[in-house]
Amino acid sequence: MFIYLDKESFLHRLHPVTKIAGLILLFIWAMVFNHPLYLSVIFLVVFFLSIIARCLSNLKKFSIILAILAFFSTLLWPFFLRGPTQLLKLGFIQISKESLLYGLAMGIRIDTMIVSGIIFLSCTRTEDFTLGLSSLGLPFPVSFALSLSFRLVPTFAATSSTIVQAQKSRGLDLESGRLWKRIRKHIPLFIPILIYAIRNTDLLAMALESKGFGFKKNRTYYLRFRSTWQDWLSIAILAGLIGFSFYLRLTGYGAIFHRI
Amino acid sequence: MKAIEVNALNFAYKGGTRKALDGLEFEQKQGEMVVLMGHTGAGKSTFSRCLNGLIPHFHKGDYSGEIRILGNPIMGRRVHDLVSQIGLVFQDFESQLFSTNVELEVAFGPENLCLSRAEISERIEEALELVRLRGFERREPASLSGGEKQRLAIASILAIRPKIVVMDEPTTDLDPQGKHEIFSVAKKLRSENYTILFIEHETEAALEADKIVIMDEGKVVTEGKPRELLRDIKLLENHGIRPPQIAKLFADMNETTLPLTVEDAVRVFEQRDWKISDQEYAALLKKDEQYQKGYGKKIIEVKDLEYVYPENIKALDNITMEIREGEFLAIIGQNGSGKTTLVKHFNGLLKPSKGEVRIAGQETKGKRVSELGKIVGYVFQNPDHQIFSDTVEDEVAFGPRNLGIPGDKISRFVKEAMKDVGLEGYEKCDPFSLTKGERQRVAIASILASKPRVLIFDEPTTGLDYREQKSIMELLQNLNRKGHTIIIITHSLWLVAEYAKRVLVLHKGKIILDDGTRKVFSEEENLRNSFLTPPEIVRLSNRVGRTLLSVDEFKYCLKR
Repeated sequence: MFIYLDKESFLHRLHPVTKIAGLILLFIWAMVFNHPLYLSVIFLVVFFLSIIARCLSNLKKFSIILAILAFFSTLLWPFFLRGPTQLLKLGFIQISKESLLYGLAMGIRIDTMIVSGIIFLSCTRTEDFTLGLSSLGLPFPVSFALSLSFRLVPTFAATSSTIVQAQKSRGLDLESGRLWKRIRKHIPLFIPILIYAIRNTDLLAMALESKGFGFKKNRTYYLRFRSTWQDWLSIAILAGLIGFSFYLRLTGYGAIFHRI
Repeated sequence: MKAIEVNALNFAYKGGTRKALDGLEFEQKQGEMVVLMGHTGAGKSTFSRCLNGLIPHFHKGDYSGEIRILGNPIMGRRVHDLVSQIGLVFQDFESQLFSTNVELEVAFGPENLCLSRAEISERIEEALELVRLRGFERREPASLSGGEKQRLAIASILAIRPKIVVMDEPTTDLDPQGKHEIFSVAKKLRSENYTILFIEHETEAALEADKIVIMDEGKVVTEGKPRELLRDIKLLENHGIRPPQIAKLFADMNETTLPLTVEDAVRVFEQRDWKISDQEYAALLKKDEQYQKGYGKKIIEVKDLEYVYPENIKALDNITMEIREGEFLAIIGQNGSGKTTLVKHFNGLLKPSKGEVRIAGQETKGKRVSELGKIVGYVFQNPDHQIFSDTVEDEVAFGPRNLGIPGDKISRFVKEAMKDVGLEGYEKCDPFSLTKGERQRVAIASILASKPRVLIFDEPTTGLDYREQKSIMELLQNLNRKGHTIIIITHSLWLVAEYAKRVLVLHKGKIILDDGTRKVFSEEENLRNSFLTPPEIVRLSNRVGRTLLSVDEFKYCLKR
């Protein structure tokens, strides 16, 4: 159920700090351009990374969501933006070639970011993430809590689905009725889920204390990562690519709309 | 030296109305295994949490008295200062596990103690060896079975190397196989000289202990050697503990030496030259037959059902069966054998991947759960997964309101349902303030109020003590007598033997056995292949040539 894949790969072996930095850099990179062609290149690079990380199976799981996002982005953006080359005019609705391309670009951008996130989660254990955040200077309890919240998502999802089924078995019909009525219908779900969350957090806190959580200010880690030249090289290559991309953008390439 | 010494311990939870612990006195020697028993609400869990300091540091309240662990008073010491002396394992293993793999789960404690990497690695190996999980290092905890998860939770405590291990009902949520695994871990720890305090309902496990302690109303009522205490049937029943069936049988026969194991019982049976009366046994068979004649028409029909989960896991394979109105059916099998998946097809929560399911003649495909809910009611395992209203009355009325039953009828149905489950007078109570057993009844009433013909119960007795379990089962029996078809999923085979009339055994998504209860329990070999062991009284009867399902049946047929 959890997205992490226990495999051997170049990306799995990188230092958690490198992975966190790499994820942030990929996000920045995807923000540089707003031209679909240029963004496609970045997307292809990220896709190539997912092959290296051996997490195509995870991408497959999300493929429908990725396709839907790209499709709706292309479809919806043109309504909000106007460009010089008009393709269609219906009353006050105008659709231009530029706005269509921009929508496509935004779809690719969001998919690039999601795929980067999937790669990150596929090759980073929550413990690596905790370790990464700690070595970036965050106190252990904070980094532990942050990464734990990722870990708890599947548990909560499973319980929520049981609660939905229990209430459906009592005749709760979530699919019909007007919006307001439908929202009110969720109260029988929210309360048990909330109570479960409180109870579960309480138990977890007790279990943590019983395992010596907070025994000393510092702690040791069973996992060990050493940053190698591969970490530095990876960051350097990414930073170089971003630098070059900024240069291109500033000199007028890679944008459909130059102001945004 | 004494491992645990408790003097005049009192505790009342903040905001609680009564004392959870009331002048508790307790002692346990080093290297001893003590089994702590008592009915729900006796204060067992509260006591275990005092021992490692969770009370009063985590749960606040009025606290007085003294606890000494290995000779030292723990007053003023925090939980994490005590971890290397005393480790606590909780009932709910799901919320104790949070790591990506088994190895890291076990490493968590030692990491907090700032041990070196080499030391941690050594401890992981040692702890996994003790719970027999070597070779599971890289497995994701979520992929383990219930018994394995709880063993992992125990290993994660053992890696801290506490001198004393306290286990708070670790087997409650486990299937028989899982329970067995935990008992053998406890045995192993005992042979390794750990001091163990084991809170447990199962009397079979208590046989291994050095001492049994019984608690009630926040104090220790009595303690003694297992072989003496377990024979005191009255005492056990008074404290919500299910007495060993064999001992009870022999006590009821006015025997002075009470055997505790099947082997011993067979020996006494033969020595005394007892017999099972053919005439009385024939009368039992006749009764079974008559019951079956009372069944009505087909209400659930399943044909060639196959169900495949989205992750491509085949959960049900080629299931064909039917259920008639008025039946009392138990579905048994290990966790993951497909029991819950099967019954979720009966009210349309799941739809067949292949084959068909018909409810009262109509195929479930294309039908909403809310439509099928009028015929088939489904009581989920955990009442807290559905309770949300301010009053019990509103909670019970939720189902009928959703199903569009007219208002004047609703109040009548709610009243009847409350009466059926024995909750009259609770109408205006806050359901969250009730005990687990009472909340279970609220959940049942809330389904019952819609007057479904079929009632499904998914493990309705988990976490309840003997007294509550019996009273829930008697409630189901009454509903069955009133004409409801009852389907129950459970791991408690003694409940199945005593109450169900037909048993369906599932193993890896397939039906292994489907027959009258007596017939199914006569096939011990077949059951054992699905990791199911019949209750001891049934095993004893099978050894002497007949299949008897309860102590009462045994007494009825026994000829001296």
